[in-house]
Amino acid sequence: MMTTAATEHNATSGGEGAGRAQGRLGARLRQSMSVGNASAVYLFALLFALFALWEPGTFLTLQNWQVLLDNQAVSGLVAIGLIAPLSAGVVDLAVGSEAGFGGIVVAWLLADHGVPIPLAIGISLIAGALVGVVMATLIARARIPSLITTLAVSSILIAVIDWISGSEQILNLGASFQDIGTDEFLGVTYPVYLLAVVSLIVWYFLERTAVGRRLRATGANLEAARLAGVRTSQMILIATVSCGVIAALAGVLASAQLATGDPTISQSYLLPAFAAAFLGSTQFHRGRFNVAGTLAAVLVLAVGVKGLQLAGAPIWLPDLFNGVALLAAVGFAQYQKSPTARTAAIRRVLRLRAGDRTANP
Amino acid sequence: MTADRRVLLRVSGLSKTFTGTKALDDVSLEVAAGEILAIVGQNGSGKSTLVKLLAGLHQPDPGSVIEVSDGTGNLVPLGRDGRGLHFIHQDLGLLPTLNTTENLDLGRALGRRWITPVRWPAEHARASEVTARFGAAIDVRAPVALLSPAERAIVAIARALDGWEHPDSVLVLDEPTTAFHRDEVARLFDAVRRVAAEGAGVIFISHRLEEVRALADRVVVLRDGRQVAEAVAGEFDDHDLVTAIVGASVDEGRRSPGGPGPVMLALDELAGPLLHDVSLNVRAGEIVGVSGVLGSGREELNGLLFGAQRPARGRIALAGEPLPPGDMAAAIEAGVAFVPADRHRLGAVMTMSVRENLTLPDLGSVRGRFGAIRLEAESAEARHWAAQVELRPAEPDRPLSEFSGGNQQKVVLAKWLRTKPRLLLLDEPTQGVDVGAKAAIYQLVRQAAADGSAVLVASSDAKELAALCDRVLLIDQGRVTGELAGPALTEAALVHAALATAAPASAAIRPGSGEVPA
Repeated sequence: MMTTAATEHNATSGGEGAGRAQGRLGARLRQSMSVGNASAVYLFALLFALFALWEPGTFLTLQNWQVLLDNQAVSGLVAIGLIAPLSAGVVDLAVGSEAGFGGIVVAWLLADHGVPIPLAIGISLIAGALVGVVMATLIARARIPSLITTLAVSSILIAVIDWISGSEQILNLGASFQDIGTDEFLGVTYPVYLLAVVSLIVWYFLERTAVGRRLRATGANLEAARLAGVRTSQMILIATVSCGVIAALAGVLASAQLATGDPTISQSYLLPAFAAAFLGSTQFHRGRFNVAGTLAAVLVLAVGVKGLQLAGAPIWLPDLFNGVALLAAVGFAQYQKSPTARTAAIRRVLRLRAGDRTANP
Repeated sequence: MTADRRVLLRVSGLSKTFTGTKALDDVSLEVAAGEILAIVGQNGSGKSTLVKLLAGLHQPDPGSVIEVSDGTGNLVPLGRDGRGLHFIHQDLGLLPTLNTTENLDLGRALGRRWITPVRWPAEHARASEVTARFGAAIDVRAPVALLSPAERAIVAIARALDGWEHPDSVLVLDEPTTAFHRDEVARLFDAVRRVAAEGAGVIFISHRLEEVRALADRVVVLRDGRQVAEAVAGEFDDHDLVTAIVGASVDEGRRSPGGPGPVMLALDELAGPLLHDVSLNVRAGEIVGVSGVLGSGREELNGLLFGAQRPARGRIALAGEPLPPGDMAAAIEAGVAFVPADRHRLGAVMTMSVRENLTLPDLGSVRGRFGAIRLEAESAEARHWAAQVELRPAEPDRPLSEFSGGNQQKVVLAKWLRTKPRLLLLDEPTQGVDVGAKAAIYQLVRQAAADGSAVLVASSDAKELAALCDRVLLIDQGRVTGELAGPALTEAALVHAALATAAPASAAIRPGSGEVPA
């Protein structure tokens, strides 16, 4: 943060007019792509180079990247869905179950009730929204801490999933439903495009709209936001409902990809989503949950896991990798946030060096 | 004094300098065994610096001497362990969910008993005995949160003195009666007198004249860090004391120019947890102060008006229109603005930028199509207001947490001035703010009044109220008991009014209601 100020200050005092604007832009670009601010990008490059040298035969194939994107579309959606609640201060531990719930509801409607596909998907998304309404009511009205609320709701959802499915896979969803998850356009499957569209909407909403600003203020300091006239209960409602819908959409796509309503997928989405959202919060907009950072984090984590798998790593490796990545990401964010005497001293040195670099443009 | 006077604490030439300003300047005092010494002074007079120096929280300037009795009648320099001094701070430092016995046991070393079971009957009996020494029959099994304020204070005193090394100790009470009833005060004083009678020395820091008269053997007055008067009980009267506390120079202040406009705010028998039936009018262009001790209801009024708290009864009208109770968004819509006292927790979102904080109460004005914020317009607004309040450094895109307290407060004020409020509510507007920013904030408030806002300032700073306000309401025990205006509105008059307030009568307030709800 201090480096930002120093760099911009130097840039503004460096010259006037066009030179000044150019210097400012350059400084800003340098700043936003610095190692501290965009470590995921550099990590990605590093991992890419590493696995390209290690397993060139498989890692560098087009097919590998198609599969990787396809695989990450659903967990990427869950991570993107998580950004709004985290920004509003709601730690949504039910996000995996919400995805699993959406996936099982759509499968149940299609296979057991013969509901048309668009209607089945619509009902699943509405169900996801309702889960969000219930959570917001419990958090904002009943004043149950979000951690407890979402943990309990998660458990309840898992029970509902097992009840609906009879703890068995729901098969025979129909070929045309499976097409939604597996059909390609320009070599990329539909879920990847959906991820792109949803990401764009969430980015616009959080970064550009007044409601998004109020939502982030709610998460940063609920009382101060309330005293500035923000209707914080509404912000929490918007956050949990949007998360419920996006997670349900992710679940629907998962069922389409698998051609199965699988009652056991919930847990596999929870941790990767948190790892991506928190690692993403250390990227680009320091300390703030953001869409671009989260997408970068999803990609880095996926490449890491994929590369290790291609190199013959065991089946339990993704869990280990995601767990370590989450700890590393949050630890790094804390290091950036609160300087202890020691880290402050280190940063003073770093800032001096940064000052040297920018002082003579 | 008599020849057998045994000095337990001697302070001589005590000074403390904070970055160039002397918070405490050459203070010398003594406390003898069995003596109760009162220290009085306004906010910023150096009272709390003195307490912190005694407690070892600050390092005194070189040349300062603090000596305590070592138990054998000799005076030795105060050690790092603080032996010989015991402190009762305003918040008492008790754990409210634990009972008296557990609170008393907390400070005691366990030694080798850490794994053996606690013998509760014996522990409770011991706790009852210890508290009974101070004349209190306390249910030692009840959580201390359920005790009355005086009982809690007695538990704190008992804990401080329980197992003291030797009887030559000095007990320092730092404004302990803030949230007390009248009869509770008497109980505490009884306990304090017992402490003194056992041979300890007592330093009693207070802001209530009545209490000083009732309890102290001697009084020391601090003003601007200096010891300006010292007197033995019975040798001073109220007038002398107030003059000593305030000083000879009386601040004239500067009133807002022009006559006030039509009535902007009308309160009709407004009541909250602390306030009772407050009725008042504030005119457009008028700056009205609210003065009263902590717990009087002074700190509650603005929150009720803004809707942060729901009033128990009463009506609020803004320019003739009734204001819905307990609805902050509606209040802001109607033109009410509120600067709370706690800047970090309530006043602003510290992790967001100055720009984002400035526009938060009124994002509608910079909103374009599809609910999007027009970033160019917002940046222009931010630059305009940064210039308006002379933000230093003038970089509105930096997080608010990176600015000094004065600049943060200017931003909090600016975000509300931007909404062109019809009613501006300020709680302790210059708390934790440097002198330069203070002047700037006063200027901004005066300008807002000149532009037609009605302003209500709740403050514990008499100098501030005298300098800023057209008139000041005196609040005591939840009721408006008087008003100072014109030539009668001076710092001295305000201090006198605050010092003269009695402790709240027991009928007026429930036990424990002295704490301000968040």
